[in-house]
Amino acid sequence: MAHVLITGIAGGLAQRVAQKLLGQGHTVVGIDYRHVRTPLEKLTVHRAHYNKTIIEDIFRRENFDVVFHLGRVFSLKEAAGKRFDLNVVGSQKIMNLVVQHKVPSLIVLSTFHIYGAHPSNHIPIAEDEPLRAGLQFPQIADAIQMDNMATTWVYRHPEVKTCVLRPTNIIGPTLHNTLTQFLRLKHVPYLLGFNPMMQFLHEDDMADAILLAWQSQITGVFNVTSDETIPWRTAISLSRAKTFPIVAPVADLFLRATGNFPGYLIDFFRYPCVITDRLFRSKVNFFPRHGLEETLWSAVSAARI
Amino acid sequence: MLKSALDALLREVPPDLLHKCSEISSRLTNVLQLATEARHHFVDPTVAAAIDSLPNRINSQGFDPWGFSPQEAKFYYSLARHVFDYFRPEVFGLEHLPKGRVLLVPNHSGQLPFDGLVVAIAALLKASPPRLVRPMAERWVSTLPFVNEMFARSGVVLGDPINCRNLLEDDQAILVFPEGARGSGKTFQHRYRLVEFGRGFMRLALQTKTPIVPVAVIGGEESIISLYNWKGFARLIGAPYAPVSPLLPLLGPLAYFPLPTKFRVYFGEPMHFEGPFDDEDSVIERKVVAVQDRVQELINEGLLKRRSVFF
Repeated sequence: MAHVLITGIAGGLAQRVAQKLLGQGHTVVGIDYRHVRTPLEKLTVHRAHYNKTIIEDIFRRENFDVVFHLGRVFSLKEAAGKRFDLNVVGSQKIMNLVVQHKVPSLIVLSTFHIYGAHPSNHIPIAEDEPLRAGLQFPQIADAIQMDNMATTWVYRHPEVKTCVLRPTNIIGPTLHNTLTQFLRLKHVPYLLGFNPMMQFLHEDDMADAILLAWQSQITGVFNVTSDETIPWRTAISLSRAKTFPIVAPVADLFLRATGNFPGYLIDFFRYPCVITDRLFRSKVNFFPRHGLEETLWSAVSAARI
Repeated sequence: MLKSALDALLREVPPDLLHKCSEISSRLTNVLQLATEARHHFVDPTVAAAIDSLPNRINSQGFDPWGFSPQEAKFYYSLARHVFDYFRPEVFGLEHLPKGRVLLVPNHSGQLPFDGLVVAIAALLKASPPRLVRPMAERWVSTLPFVNEMFARSGVVLGDPINCRNLLEDDQAILVFPEGARGSGKTFQHRYRLVEFGRGFMRLALQTKTPIVPVAVIGGEESIISLYNWKGFARLIGAPYAPVSPLLPLLGPLAYFPLPTKFRVYFGEPMHFEGPFDDEDSVIERKVVAVQDRVQELINEGLLKRRSVFF
């Protein structure tokens, strides 16, 4: 049985992964700078910033077999400098500790957002393609840099089996990420004149993908997505929400007012960013178990009733 | 901060007004919904039958990854059919269209892409079995509100080598204008003279072992006449070109309404090319010129046979 460290344990996805690992009999330590609302039984939780020294002590004390680095700050409530500290400096620290303490495996959660939604995006996008997001939106620079850092890490430290995952939109009943919250609104807007193709992956399937990536000991950078691609308005109707059109400048204001919606995400409602996970599926036996309709409905059903 | 400012603003607004606004917006949404549903009544049965006969490559919600939707395409193709009928095209050589993957390479003309529309409808309604043609579009098309969606649902795809390769490997038919916007934006004194072809289509054909069908479209050059390309204005509005019509002083914006010229479409015999796709430009260029010469030949033959621009 393995001894596991999960960063970002306050997040819904990390909780899912921890639950699955505990179920398989592994021992799990979680760390987050946020408060964990409903800690799982048998789960050891530390509250600390990834770039602080507490995390060094944790690595010194425990002898991890694998680190799941799932903690990434998305919220724009945090200033850019703080996000850089947490996402880039924090990740660097974790990765250095992994090497220092000879942890054999590292799984890093990145995002497909770094490809950017752009009018010249072809369909689908594979792993070796340019990361266009930074072109227009400097807010996502920290995510791109973290991904780049982890990606070069794969080659610089072959002794650590490092796997970087770039999933598409992850949604689900226990998640509180921007898109899930957005879909839970009673009236979900769309940009007038645009209806781009999108993909949605159930949180449970993503948790499976994360575990598979570790268990199959693959190294490299991999997209992860589901089988079906649909337009945004179809997604709204499958999540049984009412919808209304909104023009782009108003959208910017609206989105910022209804939640902390990162500006660069607006382009994802205008241009497609459809990815392929053919590479991932050629290496591991991954098949999403949740269908499209089920995935969308599961994410919003609690808000609808 | 913004949220609290907005909340404060909302408190100032009388609740009655908010209620009315939301009612108006929901009425408007209903009207849009009704309009969407009403579209199905305008679907042409022949178009619907042709689209239904296409090989099914769509997901459970009725879309392919590029956004093509047979259901919505039926409506758009029914509309397009009226445009097609307006130009009363005569179509020759459709029997040359091979089964499986194929690149259709026509001349480009007429300011607006009516030539693409006519070729696509001809392949859908006149070929047997019906073929869905996937036209390759310029990048700026994706930035146009409404148009981008209409195009994507009808099967138009961004002209990009990876899109193109994926579709060809899926044995689909691709329509590419190697002249690009330089072709469709050409002025009247350059009509029916091809501008230099791009090389990308040839590399794709070689890579995917795809036959190329040269196509000539006659009639497009006279439908919207451009005497001058006003580049400054084009830059200002972000368009690839801005045609100045001779009828502009007389008709104003109506000058851009296409004249009812008669279209003639000639599909040539498929051309097969062999060799490495990543060969030197000069080698690829020779093959490209062979296609360009064949298209020009088809145009010249078509022009010789034509007795009238309008009949």
